[in-house]
Amino acid sequence: MLKLEQVSKTYGNKNEKAVDNVSFEVHPGEIFGFVGPNGAGKTTTIKMIVSLLAPNSGKIRINGIDNQNDILAAKKQFSYVPDSPELFEKIKGIEYLKFMADVYQVPAVERQERIEKYLDIFEIKDAVNDPIGSFSHGMKQKLALVGALIHDPQVFILDEPMVGLDPKASFELKKIMRDHCDRGRSVFFSTHVLDVAEKICDRIAIIKKGKIIEVGTMAEIREKAGSQESLENIFLELTE
Amino acid sequence: MKEIVNLTKLFINESLGFSLFFYNQKFNKKEFYKQLFTLIIVPVALIPAFFMYVSLMSATYFGLTMINQTSVFLSIGYIMATVLIIVFGIMYILSEFYFSDNIEELIPLPISQRKLIIAKFLSILVFEYIFAAFIFLPILIIYGVGQGMGLLYVLLSFLIFLTIPVLPLSLMTALIMLMMQSASLKGRKDMLQIVFVFIGIAVIFGVQIWFTSQLGNGDEVDFQLLMNTMLSNNEGILNIIGYAMPTSFLMAWALNKITLMSFVWVGALLGITLLSGALMVAIGERVYIKSIVSGKSMKKGKQLSGAERSKALGKKSHGAMAVFTMDLRLLLRTPVYFFNNVSVVIIAPLCVFLSFYFIKIPPEDLQGMQEFFRAMPVLINFLLISFFIFFGGTSATTATTFSREGKASWLTRMIPVTARDQIVGRTGVAMLIQSLGIVFTIIAIQLIFPLTLSTLLLTVVLGILGSLPILLFGLFMDMNRPLLNWDNPQKAIKNNMNVVITLFVGMAYTGLLIGISGLLGYFVNPLLGYGLFLLISIGISVVFYQVISNRLEAEFLNFE
Ligand SMILES: Nc1ncnc2c1ncn2[C@@H]1O[C@H](COP(=O)(O)OP(=O)(O)OP(=O)(O)O)[C@@H](O)[C@H]1O
Ligand SMILES: [Mg+2]
Repeated sequence: MLKLEQVSKTYGNKNEKAVDNVSFEVHPGEIFGFVGPNGAGKTTTIKMIVSLLAPNSGKIRINGIDNQNDILAAKKQFSYVPDSPELFEKIKGIEYLKFMADVYQVPAVERQERIEKYLDIFEIKDAVNDPIGSFSHGMKQKLALVGALIHDPQVFILDEPMVGLDPKASFELKKIMRDHCDRGRSVFFSTHVLDVAEKICDRIAIIKKGKIIEVGTMAEIREKAGSQESLENIFLELTE
Repeated sequence: MKEIVNLTKLFINESLGFSLFFYNQKFNKKEFYKQLFTLIIVPVALIPAFFMYVSLMSATYFGLTMINQTSVFLSIGYIMATVLIIVFGIMYILSEFYFSDNIEELIPLPISQRKLIIAKFLSILVFEYIFAAFIFLPILIIYGVGQGMGLLYVLLSFLIFLTIPVLPLSLMTALIMLMMQSASLKGRKDMLQIVFVFIGIAVIFGVQIWFTSQLGNGDEVDFQLLMNTMLSNNEGILNIIGYAMPTSFLMAWALNKITLMSFVWVGALLGITLLSGALMVAIGERVYIKSIVSGKSMKKGKQLSGAERSKALGKKSHGAMAVFTMDLRLLLRTPVYFFNNVSVVIIAPLCVFLSFYFIKIPPEDLQGMQEFFRAMPVLINFLLISFFIFFGGTSATTATTFSREGKASWLTRMIPVTARDQIVGRTGVAMLIQSLGIVFTIIAIQLIFPLTLSTLLLTVVLGILGSLPILLFGLFMDMNRPLLNWDNPQKAIKNNMNVVITLFVGMAYTGLLIGISGLLGYFVNPLLGYGLFLLISIGISVVFYQVISNRLEAEFLNFE
């Protein structure tokens, strides 16, 4: 579903690589968690997947499509919500959603069904006619989530989705993620919240200083670490 | 004191982006050279304009010498400088005091309001001094040299130079603070900005129209006559404007003839200036922070019912249409964008209309002119075409199209929209605005100078097609070097080199194109002229279209 092969990235003319030879694969029906300390290269990796940054080397395939060969086709396979989504302040929520539905060519019936459903779930129906500039941080994030779910993407990519959401919303989001994968699609997200990663992810990759140091299910990672500790402890040991 | 200086430095640094500049010098050479290029090319590009200004002023001075009226020279300069400082200052004041994000970070810190206000004011003042140096120093120098003034003149005029931006700016700042306070209660910050700027423009217009109407019939726009009318008109025009700007008297009394009294007048001027600064600070301390804190609200829309929501979501529409709509909304709803890109299409036709209206052409002359143009339709057609291209070229709408999205541009780059749709949507917005300008111009001209339908059709089509290469060139520039990292939308335009480059390239290109095809049309055959024009415009457009559509997706990867 999502496959990275030896992807590397260096910013400007800095010396160390922000992402160093990263490879992993996200399978269909899988929630895949991407964890690592601050500055490890999570956001950088995600930006390369969603075609906001070009890798210096390596290949990224989304649903089988090489995102350097056919950017446009690759873009149709995923949707992405950044860690703190900057949206057009002067645009109303509903106008933003229409825009997203249009660029992903979502037919009238589907767009209405989905938008009504997710607006209800995230409880932002009342604010949808206001300019985005008047939204709170969390409301912006919710709107971006609704916008990203309009076209029911093959791969749902999120950077730090739980930060800034209230408990109800993050509970609902987890449900949406699970539901998404149950329909054979995939979710790929980065997080600091190790409890969440441990509970809802089918598999996890741990990144540190640009390098993947561990990939696998929780059980596999535990086995390797040779302990029955929580992800938190393993994480602290591994990333020391 | 030290705190104020540090804050001022911080604000200046922020509005110029020095930190990023030096960061790039270390870590991102490519970006650094781009910025360095900007820092060098802008002043160089302005040199010709400056020379033109200085020669114009020298000519005015000599004109005045001939009629023995050099004493008004300084007053003209003083009033002009003040008006310009006010007009440009409005934008600076609003963006530094009300539209910059730093204030929210600074309010919680233990810095006194007074220091914040003074530092913000000083950071604007620095730019205005530079501006005033270009506008007013040449005038002081021309007059000084012309009159053979000595050291005392240098000293006194320097003191007056120091006062020149402070007085209008501090009064303007105080006024804006008071108005923003009452506006902030209603949460209409954005509209107010537009209103202010338009008031500024109205002032300029007012003065200009008034000048023109003082010419009398104006059947002969003769400099000598203009001066004579002005001066014989009882106290003269300057006195009347002078009453609105009484400090210009002090300045004139002080500098026109250096006597002991000059020191008194300069002292008075300095005193008034200090007072106005103090007044601004005193008002600011009462209202500024308070209105910032209370004025952070945006106007909300009404709640939508399910049916209204589904109507708003509508049916599937084309990607190009979606891009077009989004770009247009951003342009119309962001005051700075509106002012820079859209207002020109209203103002320029208005100028045409007013100049026709106030410079009253006698009927027989008008008829003569109409016959002249009827005899030479090629000339008038190309004239109109170049005016129509002007709306496409000068607004530089496409040259900032990605920059205007700023940090939200990730969305544009992430969505699966074809390069073609991006080009069509964004160029479409520029064309729509241009067409508005064209329509307004035609209306303005039609009232005085009826044009035939075929002329209209020909010039409109060629005008739009002729500006297409410039529009695409602007898009090409913004695709290659967008300015995205701003905290204040004004920077997307004001600090954006793409605007300047597109403007200059566009003007040079238009001149060449109109020149060559106009000559061909005039001397050889009109059809050949139009044909060549069409051929070049379409040819270049096609080339740019191809280049952009091939490169756009790849360039999107380089935006950050
Ligand atoms: N635009 C940029 N220019 C230069 N260096 C950058 C840029 N963005 C990130 N970096 C560097 O790349 C490295 C990885 O950053 P990245 O944002 O990918 O980390 P992250 O894992 O997302 O961290 P966090 O958990 O804090 O979000 C860091 O060392 C950072 O300094
Ligand atoms: Mg990150």
